[in-house]
Amino acid sequence: MKKLVLVLLAAVFALSLVGCSQKAATQAPAGGTEPTAKVYNVVSLVNGNLGDKSFFDSAESGLKKLADAGRITYKTIEMGGTDEDQPKWLETLNEVASTGDYDLVIVGTYQMPDYLKEAATTYPNQKFLIYDDNTYVGNNQNVVNITYKQNDMGYLIGVFAANMTTQTTVANINPEAVVGFVGGVDSPVINDFLYGFLTGAQAANPDIKVDTRYVNSYVDTATAKEMGLSMINDNKADILWGVAGLSGNGAAEAALESGKAWFIGVDSDQELTLPAEQAAITLTSGLKNVGQSIIWFFDEWDAGRTYWGKEVRLGIPEGGVGVVTDKNFAKITPKAVQDAVLAAQADIVAGKIVVPTAIGDETNAVIALRDSLQP
Amino acid sequence: MFEQFLSTILKAEFLFSVIRITAPILFAALGAVVAEKAGVVNIGLEGIMMISALFGVLFSYWTQSWLIGVLGALVIGVLLSLMMGFFAFKLKTDIILAGIAVNMLGAGGTIFLLYMFTGMRGNTGALVTPNTLIPVVNIPLIKDIPILGEVLSGHSVLTYVAFLFVWLLWAVLYKTSIGLDIRAVGENPDAAGSVGISVERIKYIAIAISGALAGLGGAFMSMYYSQGWNSGMVAGRGFIALAAQAMGRGEPLGTMLSSLLFGLAQALRTKVSGLQGVSSYLVSVIPYVVTVIGLVIYAASTMQKVKKHHTKAQKGA
Repeated sequence: MKKLVLVLLAAVFALSLVGCSQKAATQAPAGGTEPTAKVYNVVSLVNGNLGDKSFFDSAESGLKKLADAGRITYKTIEMGGTDEDQPKWLETLNEVASTGDYDLVIVGTYQMPDYLKEAATTYPNQKFLIYDDNTYVGNNQNVVNITYKQNDMGYLIGVFAANMTTQTTVANINPEAVVGFVGGVDSPVINDFLYGFLTGAQAANPDIKVDTRYVNSYVDTATAKEMGLSMINDNKADILWGVAGLSGNGAAEAALESGKAWFIGVDSDQELTLPAEQAAITLTSGLKNVGQSIIWFFDEWDAGRTYWGKEVRLGIPEGGVGVVTDKNFAKITPKAVQDAVLAAQADIVAGKIVVPTAIGDETNAVIALRDSLQP
Repeated sequence: MFEQFLSTILKAEFLFSVIRITAPILFAALGAVVAEKAGVVNIGLEGIMMISALFGVLFSYWTQSWLIGVLGALVIGVLLSLMMGFFAFKLKTDIILAGIAVNMLGAGGTIFLLYMFTGMRGNTGALVTPNTLIPVVNIPLIKDIPILGEVLSGHSVLTYVAFLFVWLLWAVLYKTSIGLDIRAVGENPDAAGSVGISVERIKYIAIAISGALAGLGGAFMSMYYSQGWNSGMVAGRGFIALAAQAMGRGEPLGTMLSSLLFGLAQALRTKVSGLQGVSSYLVSVIPYVVTVIGLVIYAASTMQKVKKHHTKAQKGA
């Protein structure tokens, strides 16, 4: 009992202290005299484990850079990603929020919004950031949603794939203008990648065919492999883009095993993480730079621009998304294809190309386009 | 559209993929058969597959030998199932609970194990090299026969082993004394015990064989099917195997046929998903619809059997 009282007292003290420091932080920019050199105390809750070579590692690297630059102090809590771990997620969120020790609590992915909503409602004075999800934008004024223009990234990959699939001088490329898209689940976020991919591919080659299939799982590599093999053997696809989490690697295996196709990765630079043989047939990867986006967020915060209660969609200029342009991209891809991708990237940044998005699109135009391009 | 569909399934490659998809399910389903014959419900197949899939990769990485990897996966499968047996037979836990525990271990514990042994988390991509993967076999003579050769030749060693085990298991169950003991214990443990059979020993043997088979299924998943292990990769195949066992009436041959049916459904799903304008949600249901239909047929036939038995018993009285 004594202990409990002590802990509670400590919590109250900590909370009041943070309250003070937060006030100081928001007052300074209003004065407008000097830039705040506040060191934020941040906690990152990972609803999985580090070492995913993707989102969580990316977020961690961003936080580490900030910490190395002396701009934040941070702690990462790995909550585990299995069904059995899920009950801990809300508990952990509430626990860190209740301490009041942190200026910002960072969570991410589509699995967290429900828990976050509850915690953010219980602790209205705690600031939260969630990346790659926009389920409850504006629901809580203490939450900022960071999302990524995966449609812009998809467009670049589409331009790349459609240009590449007719470069018959490159090994394993057949004359047929068919490429494949192995998606995770038929959902708005995956279809946002797809929408960009389809429009980019079509812009590069009006006769392009895109074989789109969904694994309906983010972990079932074997099923993804079956789908990839079917695309290659039945429809003569020679470039496969795997956008299905861990399942996506099955598409790389299909490309490798058939010996007739190339693979494109997603979210992180998969050339660095796949087994050597699969990396060798990975041409490029579409990147979601979670770490970069967190750095961007702190840049903005320091500059006095805050987005609480809002969604920010980060694209190419902010470094939120991009494509890998070194290694195999530089080595294997013909110059003309490289130039086409870079030109498309410049056009998107300049606003000359506006890539449509599948998110919040009630007309489901992406579905119609998908079906019309299916071989 | 229909023509396109036909052209994709009227291919040797389609039947080839049916066999490839069936193999891991068949391993686990045979494991379910032998356990069930001894009256043991091995619900932990999924978890055993997950864990032995991981250890298959690890053993093959440490020794750079796929064979040792496969044997390692088998041994891990045996150890896990013996552990389940120890809890169930010795400590009298409900075997279903022991099975659920193993499945949870397979889901969450594997990441911990991977991290402990390699410092990696999530997947083992970086550990895989060609000589740690199960090799493919081209059968001489058969491979030269058109169509048939394309369907039957060129599978992994373990694929052939899976189908070989159907006959082997049948022979063990029906042609050996240990098989007789297993069936006797499953039918009526008290009667078996009364004639001097050690019921506990037989149950341990049955569940160990079951674990060994599931272990081979796991090795197939991570060392041939997917090249490397990632969390969640077994994706319910251990549970489908339980359904295949039930649908196959618990007999090796019937179970092989029902496993092939699941393989066919999964292969069809792959092909149908490539057709224009077909909803992926509907397509992904195909394997489950086949499962439900299969179970309904199974339930209907069992009910009839029970009814017949019942009327016979009444007549006898």
